[in-house]
Amino acid sequence: MLVIADPHPTTWASLAVEAGRKDGVYILPIATQFECTGSRVASNRSLQWGEQIVKPVFECKDDLEVIYRIAKKCGFADKMFKNIKVENNLPEAEDVLREMNRGSWSTGYCGQSPERLKAHMKNQAKFDFLTMRAPKDDPEVGGDYYGLPWPCWGSPEVKHPGTPLLYNTNLNVMDGGGTFRPRFGLEREEKLPDGTTRKVSLLADGSYSKDSEIKDGYPEFTLASLKKLGWDKDLTEAEMATITRVNSANPDAVSWSLDLSGGIQRVALIHGCVPYGNGKARMNAFGLPDPIPVHREPIYTPRVDLVAKYPTLPDAKQFRMPNIGFSVQKAAVEKGIAKQFPLILSSGRLVEYEGGGEETRTNPWLAELQQDMFIEISPGDAADRGIKDGGWVWVTGAENNSRAKMKALVTERVGKGVAWMPFHFGGWFAGKDLRGNYPKGTDPIVLGESANTITTYGYDPATGMQEPKVTLCQIAAA
Amino acid sequence: MARMKFLCDADRCIECNACVTACKNEHEVPWGINRRRVVTIDDGKPGERSVSMACMHCTDAPCAAVCPVNCIYTTADGVVLHSKDLCIGCGYCFYACPFGAPQYPQIGNFGSRGKMDKCTFCAGGPEADGSKEEYEKYGANRLAEGKLPLCAEMCSTKSLLAGDGEVIAQIYKERVMKRGYGSGAWGWKTAYRETIES
Repeated sequence: MLVIADPHPTTWASLAVEAGRKDGVYILPIATQFECTGSRVASNRSLQWGEQIVKPVFECKDDLEVIYRIAKKCGFADKMFKNIKVENNLPEAEDVLREMNRGSWSTGYCGQSPERLKAHMKNQAKFDFLTMRAPKDDPEVGGDYYGLPWPCWGSPEVKHPGTPLLYNTNLNVMDGGGTFRPRFGLEREEKLPDGTTRKVSLLADGSYSKDSEIKDGYPEFTLASLKKLGWDKDLTEAEMATITRVNSANPDAVSWSLDLSGGIQRVALIHGCVPYGNGKARMNAFGLPDPIPVHREPIYTPRVDLVAKYPTLPDAKQFRMPNIGFSVQKAAVEKGIAKQFPLILSSGRLVEYEGGGEETRTNPWLAELQQDMFIEISPGDAADRGIKDGGWVWVTGAENNSRAKMKALVTERVGKGVAWMPFHFGGWFAGKDLRGNYPKGTDPIVLGESANTITTYGYDPATGMQEPKVTLCQIAAA
Repeated sequence: MARMKFLCDADRCIECNACVTACKNEHEVPWGINRRRVVTIDDGKPGERSVSMACMHCTDAPCAAVCPVNCIYTTADGVVLHSKDLCIGCGYCFYACPFGAPQYPQIGNFGSRGKMDKCTFCAGGPEADGSKEEYEKYGANRLAEGKLPLCAEMCSTKSLLAGDGEVIAQIYKERVMKRGYGSGAWGWKTAYRETIES
């Protein structure tokens, strides 16, 4: 089953039709932010409360409504929306954020209640332009950083101001200060040159955030550690009852991230401590395949002579999937792929378009500025191939006989041996215009080949992230 | 009286085309007509420069001098405007303009031209300020509302300046003095000719 939920029908929709799929493909028109109410998070970790400006137009629906209806169809809406008010199939955005607050202790996504965010929107003018902070004496938003960037520790009542800069030991944690999180154990074994080993503490060494009552490193807070410090007396009866309910067999093991009352976080904060602990920064990422980064040739490299010395990591099963990068790299060298596809291909952004480009390619003011999918090629490489600036070319890729037709931009923006293309286009496949496959009236003004038609195999060994950024290709005049 | 001018600081322009997009959006300029455009020279080479160009609202505008129907006029603010009611689409102004500002919609086969369209410094046309007729022919009249052209107001690097010529010349002069390099800063080439490219 393929479900496409977007304000615009995406490339996938046109490809699914092209592939002849008749069943199991759903295109759900989704409302834009202007048609919905709710919290929005920006990449600086701060949140804003957005109001609905217009009712959803045409047949599009709010994300929340779509999720609710799917849950209802699957038969678990009553459980999923137990704590959320639903009216006319639309869950209330305030309740949705409260539900997140109640369950997101471990990421500090717990203090940003809808009430606090709405107060920020109402008092926007009071926040300082540079520090992002409101004056401490303001009755509604006093001392807060704009948008309560997470981590915003504790329950909303704790009034943590948010953390605009992470790990800043120059500030009290209640002013947005912090420490490194001891996330990789409390100690590790270190091999010494003479062959012996010793244990090294991974807690901070004499470093702590301002006003911390513990003047050294410390592990994450649990009920047991509060007891050891004598700080468990600061917990209220209600908090204690919740902690006991969370783990009745062993309440001592309940930590800051599991305590649904937020009490352990609150007590850590009043003693100037960060709930997750205070550890050392990790420059040697032990536990990762390359603890310290080393050079490894890309799977598809033009420098085949370097592969033997700098191969990619051995094949392995990662998470639930195999990663056969090594075999693919070896096969590419044996098959002489680099001779057949001698150009390095990279991809990137245009200022006019965003992401896959369906939305921005539908905007006439932007579409007019970039009307064709293109590939940048250096004057030398273009001359070798008889390619003219603005002429049509076929770009072929190293896997699956992939090919794409686009215009050439002959330019010195790229060096010899390198080609570049933007990744905002879609709606063409292997030279064919798929405009007819879009639902009537929804096709973007500008269509073009998708860069990912040409990209090839490759996954990050630690995160499984795919490698769509660089590969090899060949270009020929069409 | 103020004399309105545009000035594009080529040391700051990043070729983002926001001025072009803002102009099209504000005045609902149709596809194919560009009142403003960004020109890049030496693209991809060291010393690459971009500059945003539109009607420069010349003093003693050559377009007005060649217009056979006298439809081009200069306002009290020094803005060069024209009347689309009088324009016959002859194209003389296009040949006279050193900046390629006049644009013409194609209205038939064989390249026959419609009435000329160009940057109005967001000051509309001869019709009553802010009227429906004015908007339909020339786009928004921001100047009558006490606002400057949207292209310059939107410019993310404040490369494109618009306003009273005296004031923007002063701003640019201060910038050049503070930078102390490039853009004609006196002595720069003499002192650093061999090592620094401006």
